[in-house]
Amino acid sequence: MTKLNINKREYQLDLKGHETLLEVLRDNLGLTGTKTACEESECGTCTVVMEGKAVLSCITLAANCVGKEITTIEGLADGEQLHPVQQAFIDHGAVQCGFCIPGMIMSAKALLDKNPEPTLEEIQYGLDGNLCRCACYLKIFDAIRDAGEKMKTLKGS
Amino acid sequence: MLLRPFNFHTPNSLESAVQAYGKLRDVKLQAGGTFLLNSLKTMKRKGVKTPQHIISLAHIPELRGIEDQGDCVVIKSMTNIDEIYDSPLLTGNLGVLRVAARNISSQLIRNMATLGGNLTCRYTWTEMPAVMVASRARMHFVGVDGKEEIVPAEDFFKNAAKTDKIFTHVSIKKDDGISFVYYRAKKSVHVDIPLLSLCVTTRLVKGKFSQTIVAVNNGVAFAQRDRKLEEFLNGKSPGKTLAETALEHLDAAIYDARGTDYKKYMFRVGIKHILRDLTEKHR
Repeated sequence: MTKLNINKREYQLDLKGHETLLEVLRDNLGLTGTKTACEESECGTCTVVMEGKAVLSCITLAANCVGKEITTIEGLADGEQLHPVQQAFIDHGAVQCGFCIPGMIMSAKALLDKNPEPTLEEIQYGLDGNLCRCACYLKIFDAIRDAGEKMKTLKGS
Repeated sequence: MLLRPFNFHTPNSLESAVQAYGKLRDVKLQAGGTFLLNSLKTMKRKGVKTPQHIISLAHIPELRGIEDQGDCVVIKSMTNIDEIYDSPLLTGNLGVLRVAARNISSQLIRNMATLGGNLTCRYTWTEMPAVMVASRARMHFVGVDGKEEIVPAEDFFKNAAKTDKIFTHVSIKKDDGISFVYYRAKKSVHVDIPLLSLCVTTRLVKGKFSQTIVAVNNGVAFAQRDRKLEEFLNGKSPGKTLAETALEHLDAAIYDARGTDYKKYMFRVGIKHILRDLTEKHR
């Protein structure tokens, strides 16, 4: 049995070497907030945060994640309290069809944890691997800037 | 199931990785996995046989990090592209690595992909080979007999990036007298594939370029030097007309290999672009 630490919870899993993290999250653990689309590292919908960095779960082998801290979209909210990035996406109407949003939010979280006051250019650069077919980018970028300010305030209080 | 079953090995020391690599047959090494896993998926889709064993190098601490060793800087093979971009140790002539790293693919890929993967995956269109050749980098490998081998990056790519050893790190000499320019053009397709990576390093001596290296990655061959252009540039002073006149002194075979008219044109735009940048730097 292999232990994986996902959303601060330890899972004991009978992992096969060739299983991707994406498959394990969705098919074995039912964590379907992480979306599957291109499955070859082009779209960013399968983004999760591992050890503080946004990574693509479709090209991550689950067995390679032993001993690492993994956060998926399901691990962001604190009970009923949404994470500031999630709340900002709602407040700014940054969600259209919503399919790319879990990946966008995970990339945004990783970016803001490292740099709470990103410029527009830094946001665009940090999210350049996450595609939105509805082209909601402007609202998404506004939401991320707003979330950064809120996270900074929360940290300070 | 995205991948065909294989035996997955996760050694936690270089020694155990070397042992496993020497012992197993039908085996592939995994660095960041951004090339390998996608190619395994493609092979599965096409019905091509995939390797029986994969050895991940992700859990080997000796293969991670960037170290200042006085006269040179060492970058270990499993260092992420994003870590290279973020490194405060890469200054002066080594700043070219940060510039190249910044231009690689997307943030998600930069977080996962490694220097080792970029240099040894044997895809002809990756970015770092041209940078290594232009920086006179030395690539360090360890064989299954445990012996270290050091190969100049230029020779490694001249030999089509072939190796049966484990790549451990590169070492690059620090030299504040060397200036660099880097240019990358990419295809406008769904995947971020560079059409061209160009890297020039040079030294200005008494107002003239010397010891110039022009390293080119044209996307269809491994990184190589344009010695004809180097010869032209050495002894020339930075100036407004340099970029235009340099176009008459290219080793055209490098830039025109399997090229469409658009590609040939864009390569020349790239050359002009970096030579103008170089002139600006020394104005």
